[in-house]
Amino acid sequence: MEYFKTGLKSVLGAPLQGSSPPTGAETVERLVDRVQHSTLLDDRRDACRALKSLSKQYRVEVGAQAMDALCQVLEMDRADGEIVSYALDTLCNVMSSEVFEEEEHPDVYQSSKTSLGEQFTEIFMKQTDNIGLVLGFLEEYDFQVRWPALKLLTSLIHNRPRDLQDIILVSPMGVSKLMDLLGDSREVIRNDALILLTHLTKGNANIQKIVAFENAFDRLFDVMADEGYADGGIVVEDCLAIVHNLLKHNTSNQNFFKEGSYIQRLSPMFSLPNDNEDISWSSQKVNNILSSLQVIRMLVMPGNPAQVTSSCQRTIRSSGILEALCGILMASGVPVDVLTETINAVAEIIRGNLANQEYFLTVMAPSKPPRPAIVVLLLSMVNEKQPLELRCSVLYSFQCYLYKNEVGQAQLVQTLLPSSAEVGTGTTGELLVAGLLSGHMLSTWLSAVALSHALVENPAQKEQLLRVALATGPGAQPVTLLQQCSSILQQSTNVQSKVGILMLLAMWLSHCPLAVRDLLNTPSCIPYLTAQVGANEHQEHEELLQGLCAFLMGICVIFNDDSVPSYTRDSLCQLVSKRVGQDVFLDKLGEVSKHELYSKAHKHPQLQATSPEFVLLDHEFCKLFKALEGMVVKAVSPKDAGLHNGGTELTLTATESSLLLQYKELIRSQDNQIQEMRRQLHQYEIERQGSQMQIEELSATVSQLRDQTRLLSAAANTGVTSTLSSDINKLSISNQDNLSKCSELEDELDKLRKDQEDLLVLLADQDTKLMKYKTRLKQLGEKVESDDDDDQRNAEEP
Amino acid sequence: MSYAYLFKYIIIGDTGVGKSCLLLQFTDKRFQPVHDLTIGVEFGARMITIDGKQIKLQIWDTAGQEAFRSITRSYYRGAAGALLVYDITRRETFNHLTTWLEDARQHSNSNMVIMLIGNKSDLETRREVKKEEGEAFAHEHGLIFMETSAKTAANVEEAFINTAKEIYEKIQEGVFDINNEANGIKIGPQHSPTNPNLPQSGQGAGQGGGCC
Repeated sequence: MEYFKTGLKSVLGAPLQGSSPPTGAETVERLVDRVQHSTLLDDRRDACRALKSLSKQYRVEVGAQAMDALCQVLEMDRADGEIVSYALDTLCNVMSSEVFEEEEHPDVYQSSKTSLGEQFTEIFMKQTDNIGLVLGFLEEYDFQVRWPALKLLTSLIHNRPRDLQDIILVSPMGVSKLMDLLGDSREVIRNDALILLTHLTKGNANIQKIVAFENAFDRLFDVMADEGYADGGIVVEDCLAIVHNLLKHNTSNQNFFKEGSYIQRLSPMFSLPNDNEDISWSSQKVNNILSSLQVIRMLVMPGNPAQVTSSCQRTIRSSGILEALCGILMASGVPVDVLTETINAVAEIIRGNLANQEYFLTVMAPSKPPRPAIVVLLLSMVNEKQPLELRCSVLYSFQCYLYKNEVGQAQLVQTLLPSSAEVGTGTTGELLVAGLLSGHMLSTWLSAVALSHALVENPAQKEQLLRVALATGPGAQPVTLLQQCSSILQQSTNVQSKVGILMLLAMWLSHCPLAVRDLLNTPSCIPYLTAQVGANEHQEHEELLQGLCAFLMGICVIFNDDSVPSYTRDSLCQLVSKRVGQDVFLDKLGEVSKHELYSKAHKHPQLQATSPEFVLLDHEFCKLFKALEGMVVKAVSPKDAGLHNGGTELTLTATESSLLLQYKELIRSQDNQIQEMRRQLHQYEIERQGSQMQIEELSATVSQLRDQTRLLSAAANTGVTSTLSSDINKLSISNQDNLSKCSELEDELDKLRKDQEDLLVLLADQDTKLMKYKTRLKQLGEKVESDDDDDQRNAEEP
Repeated sequence: MSYAYLFKYIIIGDTGVGKSCLLLQFTDKRFQPVHDLTIGVEFGARMITIDGKQIKLQIWDTAGQEAFRSITRSYYRGAAGALLVYDITRRETFNHLTTWLEDARQHSNSNMVIMLIGNKSDLETRREVKKEEGEAFAHEHGLIFMETSAKTAANVEEAFINTAKEIYEKIQEGVFDINNEANGIKIGPQHSPTNPNLPQSGQGAGQGGGCC
């Protein structure tokens, strides 16, 4: 401290003699003035150094007065590494989230909600350019510049994560500059960059994608490999935290992770040395493995898109990770938190993936004689001495094993059937039934729920399970499992066990009229349920219990085939309305979904319980409840409305409902037909449009052709007709010639005819004269020739 | 799953020109007629074969909307190839090409191979941009050019593969520095020495190619 004071003196000059020493605020003011107005770089640099040394003790003063001056230094004096380094350090101190010991007024802003560092951060970040400046200094290789710039960014992201993410996202190459730091050979910088990236990638999908694009996975796996994977230090955990952030709810990155074969690069994390006894489980190693398991789970968790999950499940199996994890399951000396998380991871890797489920079934525990791992796990589940988390995770793995696995479900029920050869060898089914009857509340609950998962959406197994009978004692009549459940329900004093049994029964009876009939035939069961629903006393969780009883009664109404005369649909409904009252019944039913654990259980398949009393509701049951609640409400509600319009679907008798089913089937097939016809119609429509177009095209060509013809004929006409008409002209002219000639000839002919007539008249005259002369001659006695002679004479005469 | 090279692509261009559809057609061989706006970027991958070598394509399909421009710029630098897409039925998407190209040239490494794509070639009746115009633009700016249809899959394979061929040729010519991952090119695992834990040190030795 003395050193600083003398240093300060030399910077500020000796204090004036006789006056009181300057206050912190005054000193800061003078230094700021010097930083802003000194013309010499050396002076500015000294002032900056002094500000830095005061920035912890007089944090408020420095932050309030020097901010602008320091930003100005970053802007104007960026060429000088030393002064930049002082300015960055000072800003770092001012905006730090921690409270320094030597701070003058550590309590100044403690009354307000935001800390001092946060408030200064806000002021600093109002100028977006400031962040660009700091990012620019990351490119400076000089350690005394790069490191404080990195530390400053870490402080900023700590105080205002969202704002800084948004600014970095839009600053040119912002993310790239940060990513380049991972390649820095100076470990301090690389490690601090990892921490900054952890915060930066939290909850911002766009940054996550850019970081992944900038080869983050490669670089992170390189770092982890260098550090020795699971045996590495906290740096490995930091790397895994970033990988985890990059994959969280980010389908694009999950795809990239899978496609880039990074799943395979995770496998060294899980390789244990062959000699299990030698493994030292340091807390860091535990953390590293836990983080790796969480990365794996991020790829296959139930909320992911189905195709991502299933392809990742395949890759995890083919890369040998599933095998390695099963190895950890069966290894000895594994810490319980690692074991629990491994079981959870295995659960999600096999969930809904038949190949992986089948593999899981074949895993054997290295005991003598070897037993299936699944049996060993169930043994832990029904063992009261095991930790709760472990037991819950075993339930989860079992539930995931049965999820969408009809074969697995059938195999489980098969182990309980009388025909099964291996009796008493500790099969999965027997373990569960033993757990069910154990009388330990948690074991009963867990076993009941595990068993119920064998019945999910599997009507065949619901009926098979009815055949299961238990020998209660030597010589005693065997009791069916259903009857046994009913008697546990009535005899147990424990809410948890009862809830478990009720959930099992609800799953069992739903959509299974045979099971409903068996339960209705079980003595004192319905009276018990009625009494529970109608009861008024409320102990802890009693409301839930009563609600579940109401739900079970409702199921007995809905799926009732009226084969038990004393408890038909109608009589059960009357029981509800007379003994309990509709309103009370519905109130009780509503208690289930109102329960605090209901929404939590409904949201996620995994049971997440921190203590045994929170183990109450199961995910699959909640799904069933949600699906059937409405039907139950309708089924027990007054039928007035129903009578008017012929009853609802739920109040129909068996024949009616079968009729209804027929009609439904008919409608469905008609629907299909309509679909098919629509499709055909669509096809025809397309074809029609095609033909239409063709027609249009053709008609277009036709009209075109027609035009052409017209055009051609026009052209042709002008040529041909002219010659023709000239011909015709010629002909007609010659014709006229002929005509005129003809008329001339006729004229001539006429003339000739007239001449001839004249001549004939003359001839006739001559004839008469001749006759006269003949007669005179005769009279005169002259001999006259005959007529013939006359004619001859006449002819000779002319 | 092993590959000789890995190339990183980006797909850029105005919104609605069919970038995501091109990717979907290439990776999944299907067409989605509904326009589902891309937010930020989406990832897709496929393996192809060039010159008898397996090449893995990692493709980042970017959002075309202006609002995402500053985000999508971050992807230029690390890409080896870019598909610059316009829509032949919307002239304005063609008119914006210059802006896109300037942006890409400014932020990418200078060797990035750019393929110009006129998409929606199935909609011939609504065509607003002639094929010759696309060709001319590509010629003028030194790009490869193709017209594709993400709907009918016409030329989609070819567009992605020809881009890869161009990059591959540039590698053969030694234009690309394959040891610098910022170029968007990676050498496959079997090309580096047996120890997969030390990929950086291994890659340089195997290839006599570029140096830093």
